[in-house]
Amino acid sequence: MTPFQDTRSRDQGHGLFSPRETEQLMRVEFERAGRHGLPLVCLLIGIDRLGTLQDLYGRETREEVLGASLAALRRVTREHDLLLALQEDRIVALFPHSQPELGALLARKLLEAAREMRFEREGRSLRISFSIGVAHNRHRDAISFDTLLSVAEEGLAVADAAGGDRFVETELYQLIEQQRRAREQQALRAGSAPGTPAAAVAPSAPAAPEARAPGLGDTLLDVLSAMGVRVDDPGRLDKQSLTQLLFRLQDARAPKEHGDLAEERRKNDILERRISKLVAQLGVTESELQRIALLKNVDLGIASIYREPQGLGAESHVQRKREMMKEIFTANFQMKRDIEARGGQEP
Amino acid sequence: MPAARTPGILHVGLDLGTSRTSIAASNGQRETVLSYVGYPKDVVSRKLLGRDVLFGQEAADKRLALDFYRPLGAGVIRSEGAGAEGNARAARDLIAEAVRRARPQAGELVYAVIGAPAQASLKNKEAIMQAARTCVDSVMLCSEPFAVAYGLDMLDDVLVIDIGAGTTDLCRMRGTMPEESDQITNTFAGDWVDERLSEEIRKLAPQAQFTREMVKSLKEKHSNVSANAPAAIVELPVAGKPQPFDLTDAIRTACRGVVPPIVDGLAQLIATFDPEFQPRLKQRVLLAGGGSQIKGLDLAIEAEMRQRLGEGRVVRVEEPLYAGAAGALKLAEEMPDEFWEKLK
Repeated sequence: MTPFQDTRSRDQGHGLFSPRETEQLMRVEFERAGRHGLPLVCLLIGIDRLGTLQDLYGRETREEVLGASLAALRRVTREHDLLLALQEDRIVALFPHSQPELGALLARKLLEAAREMRFEREGRSLRISFSIGVAHNRHRDAISFDTLLSVAEEGLAVADAAGGDRFVETELYQLIEQQRRAREQQALRAGSAPGTPAAAVAPSAPAAPEARAPGLGDTLLDVLSAMGVRVDDPGRLDKQSLTQLLFRLQDARAPKEHGDLAEERRKNDILERRISKLVAQLGVTESELQRIALLKNVDLGIASIYREPQGLGAESHVQRKREMMKEIFTANFQMKRDIEARGGQEP
Repeated sequence: MPAARTPGILHVGLDLGTSRTSIAASNGQRETVLSYVGYPKDVVSRKLLGRDVLFGQEAADKRLALDFYRPLGAGVIRSEGAGAEGNARAARDLIAEAVRRARPQAGELVYAVIGAPAQASLKNKEAIMQAARTCVDSVMLCSEPFAVAYGLDMLDDVLVIDIGAGTTDLCRMRGTMPEESDQITNTFAGDWVDERLSEEIRKLAPQAQFTREMVKSLKEKHSNVSANAPAAIVELPVAGKPQPFDLTDAIRTACRGVVPPIVDGLAQLIATFDPEFQPRLKQRVLLAGGGSQIKGLDLAIEAEMRQRLGEGRVVRVEEPLYAGAAGALKLAEEMPDEFWEKLK
C-alpha cells in the first residue's frame, strides 16, 4: 500500500508540496539517510475525532484545526529539517538527521501542544488531541520507506484504538518487512504490477523467467531483496546473486572485524594505562617509605611493614608469629600446671 | 591472625611497671596509673578518705594517712622480707584497678597478657601470674622488651632497650622467641638515676632538703643528657626556705650514668650474634620505656655505640608509656582462642 496514492490537492492551502512530490522527497531522503548511515525519524500524526468535528462545526473548523496542528508541528521542530505531507486526516512528518529517541520526545511535545489548543465554536471551547505513530530507520529491518511508514501507521492505529492522546512505537519492523518482501516476491513472480513498491524500486525490471529454479534461487532472491540488491536478470540469478552475496558478506564482515580489533586495542590501551598508573603509584609509595625511613632513622623495619601490604613474605611472618605464640603459651601453660601442682604454694 | 575483637571477650595488654602500670584494651581504653597502692591506716583515715584502697597519684598524695605500698620492685612483686604479704595484696589490687580502668562490660571475659622483666625469675613470674589470676579470666606473661618489639612488628634482628623504673631490659630479637641468652636485665634504670641524682644533689647542696619523690619529679621534668641542655634551676628547701639550685650538671651526670651499662649489654648481645648480621643489628636498636623520655638519650647511646662498637643507630619508640602495653595487647588479640581457653 502506498499511503500517498489517494491524496488529493486539498493541502495546497497549507503551503506544502503536493502529496506525490512529498512522497518522492521523503523516499529520496530515506534513501540518502540509508546510504550515508544517517538517522531519521518518521511521525504519523492523526487528529483524534477530526471527522466528528467537521460534522458538527463544518469544514472551516476542520481546516482551522489542521492548520493549527501543522503550525504546532512546526513550532516544536526544526522547520528546515522537516518534511510534511497531508494524507486525509493525518500528517506525515519526516525528520532527517534525528536519532530514534527524538521521535518519542517530539511526540510528547506535540501531545502537549495539542492539549493546549482551544477552538471557540458556538460559544463552546473545543479541545483536540493527537494519536501518533513513531518509526525510525535505526532498526535493522527498517530498510525501506514503505516499511517505515507502515510501522508508523501501526503505531497510530494502536494509539487511536487506545483512545488517542498518546503516541506508540510498535517496533514491528521485522514483521512488516517480511510482509513487504512477500508482496514484492509475489509481484515479481506475477510479472510486476505497475504502481507497486517493487516497481518503484526497479521500474524497468523485466518479468521473471519461467525456467528459474525454485529453492536456492528463491531464498537468494529473498536475501538480496532484503539487502536492497537489485536483480536485473533473474535468469542469471545464481551467478550474479552469489557474487553479490559474497561481496556483501565481505563488506558486512569487514567492519565487524575492524570493530573487534578496535575494541581489543581499546581494552589493551586501558590495561596498559592502568599498569603504568599502578607502577607510578608504586614508585610514589616506595619513595614515601624511603622518606619515612630516613625520618625514622630506620629502614628495614619499615621495609618489613612494606612487604606485608605488597603480599611479599607475609605468610612466613604469620607462621613465625604463630610459632612464637605457641612458645609463649607452652611456657605459661607449664607455669600454670606447676602452680596448680603445688596447690598455689611458692616453688 | 584474629585481630578483630571477639564478642564477649576483652583482651588487655598490661605493662606492670615499678613506677607506672599501663593498660591497653581491645575496647580502645588506655590508662596509666602510678604503681602505688595505699590502704587507710585506721578507722579515722578510712572515714576521712571514704575508701578502702587508693591508687596512683592519689595514694602518693595521701600516703601519710595510708599504709603505702609500692608493690613492684625491679619490675616484679616484692615478695621478700617484711611486707611481702602486703605487697602481694597491693599487686593484686593494682592489677584489678588497671583492669577496672579498662572498663570491661558486665559478664565480659578478660584475657590478659602481662609484660614481665626479661630475666624475671620463675618465682617472680608465678607471683605475677597468681596476682593476676584473681582479677582476670586468663593470663599469660611475656617478656616486656619482646612485647615492645611484637607491637611494632619488628621481630627480626632488632635490639630492644626497655628502660623502666626498676630495671633496664635488653632483648635481642632474631625472628624467634628470645631465649635466656637473648635477654639482659640490669638495674641501671629510673630508680637508679633517682638515687644517683640524690647523691649529686647532696654533694652540690648538702643543706637542701628533698625526698625521693621530689627527686623523681624534678628528674622527669628536667632529664637531659645533651651537652647543651637548658639550665635546670630548681628550688629546694633549705632550713624551711626555698633556695634555687642549678642542677643541670647533676641531672646530666645522673642520667648519663645509664648509658655505659646499656651499651655494655648491647655489646654483649651484638658480640654473641651471627657476625654476618651484626652490622644490621647495630642499625636496629629500639629505645622504649619511661626512661626513653630522657632527652638526648638516643643520641647519647648512639655516640657510645659508635665509640665502642664502630656504629649504631637508635630509634626511640613513639609512645614510651604504652609501647609495652600495646604490644602485649596485640599479642593477646592474636593469640588463638584455644590457648586462652586452656589457660583459664
